[in-house]
Amino acid sequence: MDLKFVPSICSYCGTGCGVLFEVLDGELVGTLPMKTHPVNQGKLCIKGWNLHEHINSPLRLKHPLLKTFGRFTKVDWGKAVDVTAHRLKEVIAAHGPDSVGVLVSAKMTNEENYLAQKFARAVIGTNNVDHCARL
Amino acid sequence: MTLKRMTFLQHLLAFLGLEGRLHLEWISSAEAQKFVATVTGFTETIRRLGPSPLRTASLARSENVLTAPMRRSGCPGLSQTVVPEDGTKIVNG
Amino acid sequence: MTPIQQQVKNWLEEKRVDIFLAYRILDGHPLPHAFTREHIEETAELVTGPARYSLEKFATHIASRYPAARIGMVARDCNQRALNVLRVWNQLKDGQVETVPVTCCPSHLHHHADCSYLEPHPAGAVKQQLGQAPNQSLAEVEAQPAAERLDRWLYEFQKCIKCYGCRNICPVCFCKECSLEHAELIGTGHLPPDIPIFHLVRAVHMAGRCVDCGLCEDACPAEIPLRLLYRKVNAIVKDLFDYETGSGDTLPPFSILGDKPTMSPMPLLAAAQE
Ligand code: SF4
Ligand code: SF4
Ligand code: SF4
Repeated sequence: MDLKFVPSICSYCGTGCGVLFEVLDGELVGTLPMKTHPVNQGKLCIKGWNLHEHINSPLRLKHPLLKTFGRFTKVDWGKAVDVTAHRLKEVIAAHGPDSVGVLVSAKMTNEENYLAQKFARAVIGTNNVDHCARL
Repeated sequence: MTLKRMTFLQHLLAFLGLEGRLHLEWISSAEAQKFVATVTGFTETIRRLGPSPLRTASLARSENVLTAPMRRSGCPGLSQTVVPEDGTKIVNG
Repeated sequence: MTPIQQQVKNWLEEKRVDIFLAYRILDGHPLPHAFTREHIEETAELVTGPARYSLEKFATHIASRYPAARIGMVARDCNQRALNVLRVWNQLKDGQVETVPVTCCPSHLHHHADCSYLEPHPAGAVKQQLGQAPNQSLAEVEAQPAAERLDRWLYEFQKCIKCYGCRNICPVCFCKECSLEHAELIGTGHLPPDIPIFHLVRAVHMAGRCVDCGLCEDACPAEIPLRLLYRKVNAIVKDLFDYETGSGDTLPPFSILGDKPTMSPMPLLAAAQE
């Protein structure tokens, strides 16, 4: 019987509400608003309240998937990166860099998001970068 | 049980300002007179009360709910409609 | 060591309880914490406030996974009432939870004591004009003309962002399947949710359950005076059935049939009301 309460910050949007995770036997079972957090003062929106759900979700992607002939197959990272690089090059050569858009996510770290926009701007050469938390 | 729940709900609705729009009566199949009296009486009550304010307010998605209290209090700065006039549903706030 | 810290330490060492729920300060925030025999030294950091989380809800989570667990917790008045309700509704077993009573800050809202941290703020200018101020008494609300009262409640309800915070935080909301998530009862895909149905459904379900802890109102991002509404629910339950929620071991009036009807249906609204 191991119950822990872990304070954290909601990663779903730019507001940055303080949340408290309820961890029972190493499994994340609940999310609560942090009462004393200056940003949200004990309140959350529906996304924040359900933060714990995607962690244990069976729908979560754990491997890269490659879509060939309309079907997804599991591939390793090397293959996934190779195919992506190859296809991106083809698309950029045929239609120009602005035919590519990069969508990033609040569920990544700041640094990863920074790298993604750097990749979009410096490597691909487009300003088409967007983020789900651009409220 | 029905009686308990209905009486409870009647009190709760009255607290919200919707008194008299919910009614419960036991009528056996032999009591035709009572049935007629109840239905006529309740129809009369409802007619007197007029259309449901919730219906005219269309469950807050029309402007009534927002503007009615503002009109009542003569709140000039707040008289703009916050909800689209056509009553379209607001998705994602 | 304060007396409470010592008491908790003793309880854990004597195996009177397996786990003890209280608070400790982490990164400057008073946060709930589960104290155990394995980390007995942490009891020196135990505090009883000032923030308040629904510890009894965590207790039910432990109890559902470890039915034999003996759980201790610090309990204010509201925690104690919620524990009574959870016991009546079979979420916790008799004697499974042992409490160390702690006092809360005095408040004018209750003759005994209540949490002043949760005492509603006086309403601002807009809320006073358009909405229902949370710090009113029931009599003050009832003194408003019916049409105005409805306007004011609808103004409050239409602010709802359907975050389900009121349900999620409530210590006595434990249903596996929640009526608020039934698309047939409450339509989906638009904001505000169907009002006043959303709030009425919850209010009805709080009859014989709500312990007036105020956590829902505190968690509502739209500042809807939910506690005021549920206080009326409690008042009706008290008036009609003489049932005081959270005070004892008896089942709430909506869970028992009773021997014989003691009420008669309400008469039609009299013409004198016009
Ligand atoms: S997604 Fe909701 S809970 Fe999370 S930070 Fe934004 S407003 Fe707060
Ligand atoms: S006051 Fe609110 S949170 Fe507390 S028991 Fe009642 S409904 Fe639940
Ligand atoms: S906490 Fe407030 S905003 Fe959220 S669902 Fe409940 S009433 Fe609506």
